[in-house]
Amino acid sequence: MSFSITTAGRARRLAAAALVTAAAMGSLVGCSSSSSASDGPTTISLSMQNPDVKTADPATWAIIQAFEKANPNVKVEVTGEAVAEHLQKLSIAAQSDTLPDVFWVYKSNAEDMLKGGKLMNLSPVLSELGLSDKFPKSTVSNFTSGDAIYGVPYQGLLTGLWYNKKILQDNGLQVPVTFDDLLAVAKKLKEKGITTISNGANQSAFSVWSFLTDLDRFGYADKIDGILNSTGSFNNADFLRLYQHIAELRDAGAFASNVSTQTYQQAVDQFTSGKAAMLDAGVWGSSAIQKSSVAGNVGFWAGPQFKDGVGNQNIIMNVASAPLVVSAKVSKDNAKLAAVKKFIAFYYGDEAQQMLVDNGQPPVTTYKPKVDPSSQSALRAALDAASAPGVSSPESQPDLLVSTPVANAMYDSIYGVIQNQLTPQQAVDLVQAAVQSK
Amino acid sequence: MIAPALILFTLFLVYPVIYSLGFSFTKFQGFGSPEFIGLQNYISLGQDPFFWRALQNTVIILIVSIVLLVPGSFALALLLRRKVPGGGALRALVFGPAIIAPILVGLIWVFILDPKIGLLNRLLGFVGVAPVQWIGGDTLTPYAVALVFIWGSIGFAMTIFYAGRQVLPEDVMEASELDGATGFQQLRYVTIPMMRETFAIVTILMITSVFKIFELVYMLTGGGPVHRSETLVSYMYFTTFTNQKYGLGMALAVIITVLGAVVSVAYLALSRERKTA
Amino acid sequence: MRTTRTDVIDESMSTDLTGTTPEHQKPKRTRRRAAAIASGAVAYLITFLVVLPLLWIVLLSFQPSGNILGNPFSLTNLTLDNYLTVIGSLPLLKMYGNTVLIAVVAVSVGTAISFTAAFALTRMIFRHRKVQSSLRFYILAGLAVPVYILLFPVYRLDLAFGVFGTYAALILPYIAVSIPFNTLLLTGFLREFPSELEEAAIIDGAGLGRLCWTVVLPLMRPVIATILIFNVVYVFNEFPFASILINNPDMVTVSLAVSRFQGQYTVDYGGMMAAATLVLLPQLVIYALFQKQVIAGMTVGAVKG
Repeated sequence: MSFSITTAGRARRLAAAALVTAAAMGSLVGCSSSSSASDGPTTISLSMQNPDVKTADPATWAIIQAFEKANPNVKVEVTGEAVAEHLQKLSIAAQSDTLPDVFWVYKSNAEDMLKGGKLMNLSPVLSELGLSDKFPKSTVSNFTSGDAIYGVPYQGLLTGLWYNKKILQDNGLQVPVTFDDLLAVAKKLKEKGITTISNGANQSAFSVWSFLTDLDRFGYADKIDGILNSTGSFNNADFLRLYQHIAELRDAGAFASNVSTQTYQQAVDQFTSGKAAMLDAGVWGSSAIQKSSVAGNVGFWAGPQFKDGVGNQNIIMNVASAPLVVSAKVSKDNAKLAAVKKFIAFYYGDEAQQMLVDNGQPPVTTYKPKVDPSSQSALRAALDAASAPGVSSPESQPDLLVSTPVANAMYDSIYGVIQNQLTPQQAVDLVQAAVQSK
Repeated sequence: MIAPALILFTLFLVYPVIYSLGFSFTKFQGFGSPEFIGLQNYISLGQDPFFWRALQNTVIILIVSIVLLVPGSFALALLLRRKVPGGGALRALVFGPAIIAPILVGLIWVFILDPKIGLLNRLLGFVGVAPVQWIGGDTLTPYAVALVFIWGSIGFAMTIFYAGRQVLPEDVMEASELDGATGFQQLRYVTIPMMRETFAIVTILMITSVFKIFELVYMLTGGGPVHRSETLVSYMYFTTFTNQKYGLGMALAVIITVLGAVVSVAYLALSRERKTA
Repeated sequence: MRTTRTDVIDESMSTDLTGTTPEHQKPKRTRRRAAAIASGAVAYLITFLVVLPLLWIVLLSFQPSGNILGNPFSLTNLTLDNYLTVIGSLPLLKMYGNTVLIAVVAVSVGTAISFTAAFALTRMIFRHRKVQSSLRFYILAGLAVPVYILLFPVYRLDLAFGVFGTYAALILPYIAVSIPFNTLLLTGFLREFPSELEEAAIIDGAGLGRLCWTVVLPLMRPVIATILIFNVVYVFNEFPFASILINNPDMVTVSLAVSRFQGQYTVDYGGMMAAATLVLLPQLVIYALFQKQVIAGMTVGAVKG
């Protein structure tokens, strides 16, 4: 048996419950800080793709500290999340018109935001600051859409294979030049139980930089426009050959047995603790390598040359990475605009560029940095490889030229072959399917 | 007296679902503006082999978990209710895994299940068993995820059974004992029937939790190799945030919600039928 | 009239373990004792299996980082370094302060409004019975909703209500998400729970409010305690909402701080294991405390007998 209740009783309960909720909420809302006063220093928000900028991105941190010192009237409020959460946050913020003032974002997302009127055209700012000529031409064209320049380079993307000279020497091996050399190295090291190329697909499917460069050794730059406008296909004989080579490397035992469950960081750890002969990464790895016990034995290799490749084989990936962009709202606030201009001028000034280098990053302007040959031997090796005689760089990294789903399919296709889950044919089909599904 | 709960629930749970349902009919990349495309997202999912694989994995995890977890945690609750010395401490320890954030649970089990550096293969190595690819291979991952899920939930389910047993009126239990019912008879004819609602609670909670498994897979394999070990939610996360197909991801989210609700209701209907039969 | 825990145990012992059982039932008695020992052993075994991975974490949390991947079984170089790293880099006071504040408000409000709702859904006559059960299903359907569907709309709601950047931004969705779970448990147990007692109270002239809070609530103590435990655990571990709805470093929660720690020390596994241990311990204590309430329910239940 149950019972009904009087209306008065219900109303009283309801009111009491509402009161409790309201009181709780009211006191909590009261805790929030009011927005900053207009007469104090100007604050600009900078949102980055690392959960802790101070430790994970010391170069940016150092630049911010120096900038605030030089400009006491401007405060930079840095926040950061891991890439996935960072992008998630930006996407939500873009829809709600609450974007941070300056932020890191992928090129393809930046172009979408530009179309939606969410980003500032930096072209006038760059000319006003006299920065236009300080960037390599390819960098500027990379971040140009129509006549708007929507981004400035955050850091350089100089990628390749770090190698451990000692492991190679101990096994009577030379630093490879061609793909066949690399294959021979893998076979020899497999006998010794040593991983040749350290990489990890768990939560880091994107860690395939050296293979992306290989795509450029099979004519990617010339083919990609055709692939995207359906006059060509990712499923072509040249790319298929590359994937077959990746399968040969896999069969030679070049990769770690736990490549599927290993993260990129674990892969780095394997290399810096001397358990793997090579590491697929880029110049950003130099500080970790420099701090490790293998620092003295490390070299930097642009990657294998293929005798059945297409076009110039002597290339190294040395391009601008994702851009820093400025929210369109900044242009409506004069104080903020002035502060952001000061920040950009500082970031691309020689002092800040040297700070990049001091923290293991290549400069993104034409600045010629000072590199200490012993305490920065790893960075030195990478920079030397990038400026070796006869070597050139593609305009952009293959994954930066396509939409995010296609880029992810590329990563999956490469790791799919490395993990023996996809045949070379299935791998190229996977990417082609992603291109076609608009 | 129901109003505050109903208002908050509708505002912060139902409204968002309807909002996202709207997005599931659009093509939206997260940064541009959404474009209405009707049922296209649902059709693409039907043609996506990775989606079917994720569904298959989720079903495997669901079956393994429910079959082992519900009877297992019930038995454990009864065992720990007896006068076992240190029973309180045992209960707290069994509950331990349920307290750990799922992301850390995943991380812990990487150190146990990883084929190369994991504890399990190391131990097997001592007795001469060749390394097994518990995670990261082609087939075993969903079973491994089910195992980890059971580990993380058994204390949770056990606690609910324990509380359910506690609110049973003692007089009924004593009466059945005085009637000379054996332990098994009492269990079969008194305890289990009287705890029917508790069984429903635990089963529904476990079904809906399995449909929401994400962090475990994310930490153990990241969904790999090549999405072979994705669950529905991990694949939805990939689609929505990594692949930035927001509309498609919301379509997947809607499917997950509906599946979870349908399976739960089906269970309720089935168990009610048995009750009346 | 309240009986203590020992009274209850005495009472139950008198039915099966003391000498009051007739002589001819002796073999049954020994069998029961053997069964009790066996079940005790099984309980210990299962607990051991469940705890093994936890012990593994604790062991790893004392290992120097080099050992974790290389020689994790070594007991010779155990160190406190990992804990020092964690204590040095986690904002312990801040993260626990924030999380406890959020948990106290969200869980108490959430449990209170769920309890009254569940009471209404099981004990009150609605004009149409269908409305009542539809309302229950409406709320229970919320269990099936994955959190990622909610992030974006909830963010916009928080902005619209002007609570973004305050604790309420997190508290409101936490309450909402806890409602279906609480309702499932409360309505389930309330249905299982006989209503004769309340009828007696009604006959004694108790009003609805008194009935709900002073008669039913105490009897539901084990369930309420269970709900409190689960909700607190949920708030402590919740990550997706926290990562989207908290911008201010001064407002970090435990899960947010731990995930940042993880992002920052990606390969410092020893540090991560130490962090996991440090987060686990206070929560185990909370569980142990609330668990007393679960057991206390037994004495109240026995009063009726």
